[in-house]
Amino acid sequence: MRALSWAYLIAMLGFILLPVAMLVIFSFQDGRLPVPPLKGVTLEWYGKVLSDRALMEALVNSLLVAFVSALTALVLGFLAASGLARVVLPGSAWMRGALIAPMTVSYLIVALGLLQMFGQVGIRPSLLATGIGHVVINLPLCFAITYAAIGEHQRSALKAARDLGAREFQVLWFVAAPMLAPALAAAFFLAFTFSWDEFIIAFLLTRFDVTLPVEIWSMLRSGLSPATNAVGSLVFLVSLVILVALELTLFRKGAK
Amino acid sequence: MTADVHIHGVEHRFDTFTALHRVDLKISAGEFIVLLGPSGCGKTTLLSIIGGFLSPSEGNVLIGGKDMSLVAPRARPTTTVFQDYALFPHMSLRDNVAFGLRMRGVGRAARHKKALEMLDLVGLSDKGDRKPHALSGGQRQRVALARALAVDPDVLLLDEPLGALDLKLRRQMQDELKAIQRSVGTTFIHVTHDQEEAMAIADRIVVMNQGRIEHCGTPEEVYLTPKTLFSANFMGEMNRIPVTAAGQGVASPLGLLPLAPQTGTLCLRPENLGLAGEVSLGPARLEAAAFFGSHHRCHFTPLAAPDLRLIAHLPQGRHPAPGEEVELFATHPVILAPEAA
Repeated sequence: MRALSWAYLIAMLGFILLPVAMLVIFSFQDGRLPVPPLKGVTLEWYGKVLSDRALMEALVNSLLVAFVSALTALVLGFLAASGLARVVLPGSAWMRGALIAPMTVSYLIVALGLLQMFGQVGIRPSLLATGIGHVVINLPLCFAITYAAIGEHQRSALKAARDLGAREFQVLWFVAAPMLAPALAAAFFLAFTFSWDEFIIAFLLTRFDVTLPVEIWSMLRSGLSPATNAVGSLVFLVSLVILVALELTLFRKGAK
Repeated sequence: MTADVHIHGVEHRFDTFTALHRVDLKISAGEFIVLLGPSGCGKTTLLSIIGGFLSPSEGNVLIGGKDMSLVAPRARPTTTVFQDYALFPHMSLRDNVAFGLRMRGVGRAARHKKALEMLDLVGLSDKGDRKPHALSGGQRQRVALARALAVDPDVLLLDEPLGALDLKLRRQMQDELKAIQRSVGTTFIHVTHDQEEAMAIADRIVVMNQGRIEHCGTPEEVYLTPKTLFSANFMGEMNRIPVTAAGQGVASPLGLLPLAPQTGTLCLRPENLGLAGEVSLGPARLEAAAFFGSHHRCHFTPLAAPDLRLIAHLPQGRHPAPGEEVELFATHPVILAPEAA
């Protein structure tokens, strides 16, 4: 029974991790094609990727879009959550629903809607348009995480701050934000990784400056190469670093 | 600093439920007032209205003669000590206590000095650098008190501040609260459902029930000469004997008693029944007794009314034997008219 559960665990992890492992392993392939057998190990493809100007520009674009859109989504989500947690308005439940609703809409639909709307108001497909799109998909997430973190304990601390003479922005800055810091950080990093990985919206809403997933897609069109594996590995590495950082800072603190 | 509080015809409704029915109350500057009542009686609602967290449906609150109707909590001369302390977990005790002064634009050195003074007042001056989670419940409560007092409020509102503490600590904190109130002179308005706590600290007790003030007076008045059956019962255990006016006295199941003629309920506290006193209740038989430390708690059956049970607290020295027949006397008899329901 015990052996069986171990076998199951290994099979499950293998199923999840094997594709990533293959991707990383064949990024070192000493040959033209990233398929078995492994002919030898080389860093040639990494060198090539890192000296590829278009790819590096896309990488910087991606980081920029992810950072700015995650921060914007976080600020808006935090403000909405603190507002709705503070007062009960007629239709509060509807407002919360409306804020979370975009989460249930597929990215493709969101992108199509934005594309048409941006066409109407004259915003060209660009990094800005993509960033706005990423705020649209990440705001519900940031709102939900922050709102869930505001408990009775926070509420009464906020009340105490107001009672002691704090203005509303002081309440948010000195009390609400520090008390909700773990939730805010988790929301920010999740929003960051979602934006960093996102393809459909970025594909439809960018034109000349593109984000990394879009650039990788155009590389893939010219066929498989260990270079695409190398880029994929780098993207994976960034996500991994964020995850480990989260684990070391927030989750460990929370478990204490 | 201190100020008086006038509550004029304050009524508060939540949707369909009326939490307060036209409450009027005058509180003098520097008074220690306790709002006492069971949960749901409207005492916390009244406190929230004074603090500005709720707007009354009707009526208004004057603090120091100024109408507070349109004044937000942050601009009122009141601060609150919350039941769950509501300390800021990410700040040291000193920063917690100094928070109100910081919001008032007091400089760092001045506010830290004041914060340490306030921590000293509550006996925590050596723990200024600690965080709230490193403290016990009683210590957190003291910090909450120091934080609320640090801004020199005219009126301090305390919302069941001792509710989460164990009995011994609660008694100790009551004495400290009273001492601190005397030394700072601020008007304290304290909410509790514990009548012993109320008597221990209050200058005046306001007994509330179902959104109305039942009785407002000193602890002695409220305990010894209650105005309503509710406040009589709420303040402590009570023997109740139905009586009707009859000539010069009252008729009761115990026979004719020499009291001012009135129809209603004769209320007698257990400790006001004894083997000597103002009014004889006739002979009674001791059914059972138990020793409670400070007194013997005795169940008596009057011979004239075998269905009636009277509870008396007899002093320690006396050892009653079950079955013994003695003459019972009462002191501080109070006859209350039937509740106008």
